[in-house]
Amino acid sequence: MKQLILRRLGQALIVLAGVALMIFVMLRIVPGNPIETMMGEHADRATVARMTAEMGLDRPLPEQFIQYLGNILRGDFGTSYALGRPVTELMAGAFGNTLILALFAALFSWGLGLLAGIVSAVWKNRAPDRIFMGFSLLGISLPVFLAAMALQYLFAFQLKWFPVSGTGSWKSFVLPAVALGWNSAGQVAQITRTSLAETLGEDFIETARAKGRGTAGVVLIHALRCAMLPVMTVMIIQFSSLLSGAVITETVFSMNGLGRLMVQAISGRDLPLLQATALFATAVAVLGSLAADILCALLDPRIRREA
Amino acid sequence: MRKILALILALGMLSCMAAAEDVEPGTLRIAVLYDISTMDVARTTDNYMVPMNVFDRLLETRPEGDASKVVGSLATDYTVSGDGLTYSFTLREGVVFSNGSPLTASDVQFSFERLLKLHDQNTDIPLEVVGGREVMEGAAEHLAGFTVADDTHFSVTLTAANAGFPAELTAPAMSIVDAETMSDGFGRIPAETVGTGPYIVTEWVANDHYTLVFNEKYWGPAPDVRKVIVLVEPTAATQSYKFKSGELDLIDLQNLDSAVIAAEYKTMPEGRVVSRPRVGINFMMMNEKNEFLGDVRVRKAISMAIDVDQIITGIYSGDALRENGIIPNGVWAHNDRLEAPAYDPEGAKALLREAGYGEGQVAFELAEDASATDSIKLVNLFVSQQLRAVGIDARIQSYDHAAWLAKRGAGEMDAFIARWGMDYNDPANIMYTFFGSVENTVGRSLNYPDTAVIDRVAAARAIVDDAAREAEYQALEKKLIQEDAVWVPMFAELHLYAIGDRVASFTPQWAGFTDFFAADVALK
Amino acid sequence: MTERFSDLMRRMARENKTAVASGAVILLMLLAAAFGPMMTPYGENDMDLMNRLAPPSAAHLLGTDEGGRDVLTRLLYGARISLLIGVAPALLSLAVGAALGMIAGYRGGFADTLIMRMADVTLAFPSMLLAMVLMYALGGGILNVFLTLTLVNWASVARVVRSRTLQLRDSEFVEAARISGVSGGRIVRRHILPNCLPTLLALFTLNIPATILTESGLSFLGLGVQPPFASWGLMINAGQQYLMTAPWLCFAPGLAIMMIVLAFNFLGNGLLDVLDPRRKKR
Repeated sequence: MKQLILRRLGQALIVLAGVALMIFVMLRIVPGNPIETMMGEHADRATVARMTAEMGLDRPLPEQFIQYLGNILRGDFGTSYALGRPVTELMAGAFGNTLILALFAALFSWGLGLLAGIVSAVWKNRAPDRIFMGFSLLGISLPVFLAAMALQYLFAFQLKWFPVSGTGSWKSFVLPAVALGWNSAGQVAQITRTSLAETLGEDFIETARAKGRGTAGVVLIHALRCAMLPVMTVMIIQFSSLLSGAVITETVFSMNGLGRLMVQAISGRDLPLLQATALFATAVAVLGSLAADILCALLDPRIRREA
Repeated sequence: MRKILALILALGMLSCMAAAEDVEPGTLRIAVLYDISTMDVARTTDNYMVPMNVFDRLLETRPEGDASKVVGSLATDYTVSGDGLTYSFTLREGVVFSNGSPLTASDVQFSFERLLKLHDQNTDIPLEVVGGREVMEGAAEHLAGFTVADDTHFSVTLTAANAGFPAELTAPAMSIVDAETMSDGFGRIPAETVGTGPYIVTEWVANDHYTLVFNEKYWGPAPDVRKVIVLVEPTAATQSYKFKSGELDLIDLQNLDSAVIAAEYKTMPEGRVVSRPRVGINFMMMNEKNEFLGDVRVRKAISMAIDVDQIITGIYSGDALRENGIIPNGVWAHNDRLEAPAYDPEGAKALLREAGYGEGQVAFELAEDASATDSIKLVNLFVSQQLRAVGIDARIQSYDHAAWLAKRGAGEMDAFIARWGMDYNDPANIMYTFFGSVENTVGRSLNYPDTAVIDRVAAARAIVDDAAREAEYQALEKKLIQEDAVWVPMFAELHLYAIGDRVASFTPQWAGFTDFFAADVALK
Repeated sequence: MTERFSDLMRRMARENKTAVASGAVILLMLLAAAFGPMMTPYGENDMDLMNRLAPPSAAHLLGTDEGGRDVLTRLLYGARISLLIGVAPALLSLAVGAALGMIAGYRGGFADTLIMRMADVTLAFPSMLLAMVLMYALGGGILNVFLTLTLVNWASVARVVRSRTLQLRDSEFVEAARISGVSGGRIVRRHILPNCLPTLLALFTLNIPATILTESGLSFLGLGVQPPFASWGLMINAGQQYLMTAPWLCFAPGLAIMMIVLAFNFLGNGLLDVLDPRRKKR
């Protein structure tokens, strides 16, 4: 077991190093001088040249890369061009909001998805199944930004049940979480339905049923436990797509989060900020899937034995 | 089980419905599209909200009806020597900074020299003082032209006479800071960003919001607004929702479409929409280095082919002033007798034929800054369509802000819709910036070739007599626009704001800046 | 794979009516995108400043936008971009992913390690984030959106194709071909590729809606297709502030995106069901 965890950890580290290299390469092929954006309309050329030198952007690429790696290891991501603050400080504030948003969204999507999936599997090919599966396909096909805009317009602006935007209180997180989780809920529902329906058809469930346990008991205790593994894998992979969706949700709801920070970094051509947010968000995704792997291994006797 | 669930849901809904939180009296809630990057004017040319409200300047430009005038602020009075070179100031007595440190003449000297020593932004004005260059380059510790007589009296000597100097001192850049308690955290850490103005910054959560609170030690009359919360809200549509659901007290309408303003804001009760003309000008810049745009007949044809009045009525719903020259409405020396080039597409075609160009032969790029407002992007589309109608191919090319600046600064942009907002009320602020030197015309992608005119523009700064200076600027303007057709003058937007139920009245900054003095807001 | 491709299609047509209907919707949209723009009397960017934000009428079936442009016309031009951007990068990433996947699977060794580690790194990025970083590096514009979406999608294809190739490599008929001295390239072309095709087709149909969604998301954020081109995501972004004054600006492209994505999802699921009967088991 320990060995398995160590191996996965090693793989994750290699992937992370690859990610760091890829981000560096992608961001150095950009044309244009980022300093000029930071300084705006009235900047004079001497100042631009001086600042470029100060930030090391005029040095050869390998040298810049070594410096970049060193900085990552020391946790120093530089200063945001556009916002004039240390990037770590900006990310610290934003990450908390994104984490809360992702957790709210995950809870919503897992809850709704599991519920819909169980109902669909139990009443397979009957009305509840049709309705829920219709909704789940709708969920998968609905762009996050449309869901976000519609919820904001209806529940915040027209009905005034929730704040329009921001991160002021827990209420501010409800609509964005629903918008964000909607999509994943559809996927969780589909996988739960498939997996559970399969398990329900298997022999040992029939046996349990024959032993005289009620339908509800059979479904929940036996079948669900067996059907959970693929569902859990999907749920945790969803976490990465939640991070993708957070970019759009945070933008629509003006939440000070990692995703919006990235959008800002791009429109402001803010190199240090983009570099750090992209790296950080991807690292979170990688660690998330690592956690998923390990969790699955702990739960699944087959993988455990393999190790 | 079901009952409990229903109860929980109902309770949840109820608590949500009571969303409208009570607002502390004296609080003003506003929103901006982007967070500020600094609170220090030595490091920015556009984050002026904090400098304007937390600091004072020696003099201030105040709106007076539709016009404006320069009035005393930290300086109560000043005199000018006969040769126009030396200004002597008297400081207001008893002014202290928000940390209790008294204001003295040496603080003013320190503020001037600090801009030069940091050598970052806004160095132009202190550079006019004798010895400015030496301080900036580190060759001298102090400005040779700055003499402190005593704590409340000092004089400043310029390298060349500049009648616009008092107006320049009202620019946010010339904010006065405290020499004794200056620290590293200044401009970055709220508690260390100390000024004499009506407000102090109490918190700044990057990318989220910052808060201004009334400064109990302020020397002037106490304002209605005791607290300002500035929210970072990057989407115009969301700002609009927030204003309408009572989460904002004042909204800047410049990022909304005029049709939306007409349908959703101008329908509010009388007086809720406040406006101030932007003292500045939008115009179409044409680069004379371009093979077609170098021909004055092509430039004149372009100015005849664009129906500016339709832009004003169609895109701006009439909320823009027609501009016909260089020096905009609201600036002294503005010439309101200057005539606009008439909209005449047939005449434009004839002129192009005369210049020897057939249909589609004149082709250039109309550059668009990706960060421009939606209205300006519509103007670009419309201009491109109108030029196509007279056989000119002006293809819109979008650049992100950095690339746009780089291309323009290198003098290589063919044509673009530009906007210049006045920093202070003096014609030099636009004439000199665009035509005062060869480098200036290159840096703006104008590449204006007539050095005789350039020399005259530079010399006009030193004319001491206001009337003579006005006449010279107006003569130059006529030459540049009517003879040389350097650019197509278009319009100055009316800057619109809407005020919510808690606000009684609001007076925008004199030039219609996005930033304003919170003390100019009166609450109910 | 014993069943022939055409038989598969026929079986799907028989068993899955939704998939057939979705196919029809897609065909209709393709036709609209191809010929629609020729039939409207307006151009993509014909402005009419005196007729801005006009509600739907006989002259403008879906009204006009903030520049007085005909919304229906822009919707049709937008369909071209959405379908093109949905299909082309999906196809391109399919080709690249399949080629790399087969190489990795068949060759094994260093090539396998290299390709799969590259795929791991690509897949480690949340897709939107990777697309955003690439758009930053390449800049906006249709061509760059193509490239970006291809780079985002190749890895998942490569992974699936590799595992399929591994299965096939060890199968008897490939073994037989190898023993009889057939070259590696020929085996891949003759035996492995044809057997991967159904899987590839299903991946293709499912990649299209994902690509359309990513494109619309990128354009919505202002990082994808740049104006004055009409893209549905861009139209919705521009329409955001008119939700009260001119709601048709968001509704029309919003509905269009949902319809096309839904149709491709149904079709893709139908294909998967047919390919893997166990999956459906109705």
